[in-house]
Amino acid sequence: MNRKTRYFVIASLLVLGIGVAVGFVAYYVGVPTAFAQQGPDELQLVPGNAVVVAYASVHEVMASNLRERVRQALPELPNGQREFEDATGINIEHDVDRVVAALVPADDGRVDVPRSGLLIATGRFDQVKIESLMREHGATEETYRGRRMFAAPDSGAGLSVAFVEPGLVAVGSTTLVKSAIDRKDGAASIRTNDDIMTLVRSLDRGNVWAVGRFDALTAQAKLPPNVTNQLPPVTWFAVSAHINGGLLGDIRMQTRDETSANQFRDVIRGIIAMANMQADGHPELATVLRSIQLNGSGTTVAVSFELPAETIDLLAPRRLQPGR
Amino acid sequence: MIRKPTLIATAVRIFELSLGQMLWSRRSVFLALVAAVPVALAGLIRFAAFAEPRALPQINGERLDGAVLFGLMIWLLYVRFIVPVLGMFYGTSLIADEVDDKTITYLFVRPIPRGAVLVGKYLAYFVCTALLILPSVVLVYFLLVPIGSSIGRSFPSLVVDLGVLAAGIASYGGLFAWVGARLKRPLVIGLVFVFGWEPGVLLFPGYLKRATIAYYLQGLVPHTMPQESGVNILLQVFQEIPAVPLSLAALAGITLAGVWLAARAAETREYVLDQ
Repeated sequence: MNRKTRYFVIASLLVLGIGVAVGFVAYYVGVPTAFAQQGPDELQLVPGNAVVVAYASVHEVMASNLRERVRQALPELPNGQREFEDATGINIEHDVDRVVAALVPADDGRVDVPRSGLLIATGRFDQVKIESLMREHGATEETYRGRRMFAAPDSGAGLSVAFVEPGLVAVGSTTLVKSAIDRKDGAASIRTNDDIMTLVRSLDRGNVWAVGRFDALTAQAKLPPNVTNQLPPVTWFAVSAHINGGLLGDIRMQTRDETSANQFRDVIRGIIAMANMQADGHPELATVLRSIQLNGSGTTVAVSFELPAETIDLLAPRRLQPGR
Repeated sequence: MIRKPTLIATAVRIFELSLGQMLWSRRSVFLALVAAVPVALAGLIRFAAFAEPRALPQINGERLDGAVLFGLMIWLLYVRFIVPVLGMFYGTSLIADEVDDKTITYLFVRPIPRGAVLVGKYLAYFVCTALLILPSVVLVYFLLVPIGSSIGRSFPSLVVDLGVLAAGIASYGGLFAWVGARLKRPLVIGLVFVFGWEPGVLLFPGYLKRATIAYYLQGLVPHTMPQESGVNILLQVFQEIPAVPLSLAALAGITLAGVWLAARAAETREYVLDQ
């Protein structure tokens, strides 16, 4: 065997050996790879028992063509956005890059009565200015694990704001904000929750998504019993959307059993059929309906849709269309 | 008194000589290209998935993830095309190349078992092909599986796939080594077998599919492919899948029988060189 052949054999065996070794380590130890969809880094601050987790790439959404169209049609800031900026000094449109929100169940573990929420925002924040603004509004200050926390003065639920690190702010109940700080320092997070993380990993690369327990959402919405009794028996849901010029959406729901899934799919087909009957005089509605795809098998019901920018223009009232 | 070298010692010596010749021959350029195509394809798919996740195909509403794509490439590209083709091209030429180059005389005048020549060349074929194909499978694995799936979770399927491909390389090589050593026009027979007999027979129910290598390989492959609805649609084409022990035994038997018969053919056949 000459030297060239020997080098080739060694190189091949190295590629084979290193590949198998990495796979072996990943199998037994669970080494996270840079390529696996693990969700945003902010998930590290979300409690492991969260029942709903949502994410939005605020920067991408705000920079999208769709948002630009809406902004041109509605140049004044919505009231909620203005109030938030007045209270916290954070301008959602410019200061915030990403937002992760979570719903956490009550201490007694009941999922159907979520108790509190946590919002984690990443971006460019003037921490000094924001903290002084909160002091002016009467927020009480305390220090927790080296971070300053500000509690709203008239918030019965103990609403707090804290800068976990420069550029990373947590807003929510005092307990959850403190637990987010704990997680920053190494405590277990939602990443150990296989149910939620499986849903996160199954998502396409959307710039807005939400996953979690459907019953947690309905409980949070405080729907009347005669409405909740009519809802399908959905256990888990995963919603994602990619907002750019248009809107690409995926909704995936897991039902309790296959029969429920089949019935749910039949209901959706019926709704689409009824809408098609109404769409004769509304070409924009027909375009939207044509883009809806109903899929899924077993206990999964999946609906995807696409709204191109042109369709959104047709659907929007005249006052929302730019240049008119 | 000079002792005649043993079969194994001779085979090892021929293996060392043939490995270098086989690896740096023009035929191996073709082999390298064949091994590179799946890697390039996997790279393209990865790039497409990164640029536009919706570019990945869907079956019954379920978008194919990396693990399913990897399983499909293993079955459709490697098991059904690359391994049989390489086995055919290399296996049929183990002795034929020596005959064409008129160098077989020099090998056979040596006081070595003739069968050892073929065994040594077969081993060189196996190592050469395995060292080109199996690393390419590993590269494809790391390119595709991270798309919506987990490298750790799919690792057992990688190991089994590597074993399946090695078994395929060995068995196709053994079969075509015998074809090349015994029959005239081995390449034509090989092409008919790989592209005619095997694909045709596998589609029909009955006993004929047991006269193929792909039938036994597919008995091993389903254990590597995830039980997703999209993949099951494709696997429905194969209505009868043999048990794993039967598949392993059959493949081992085909390999050993093929190599033994090829060695016997080399021992007994008179090779006439064209003048």
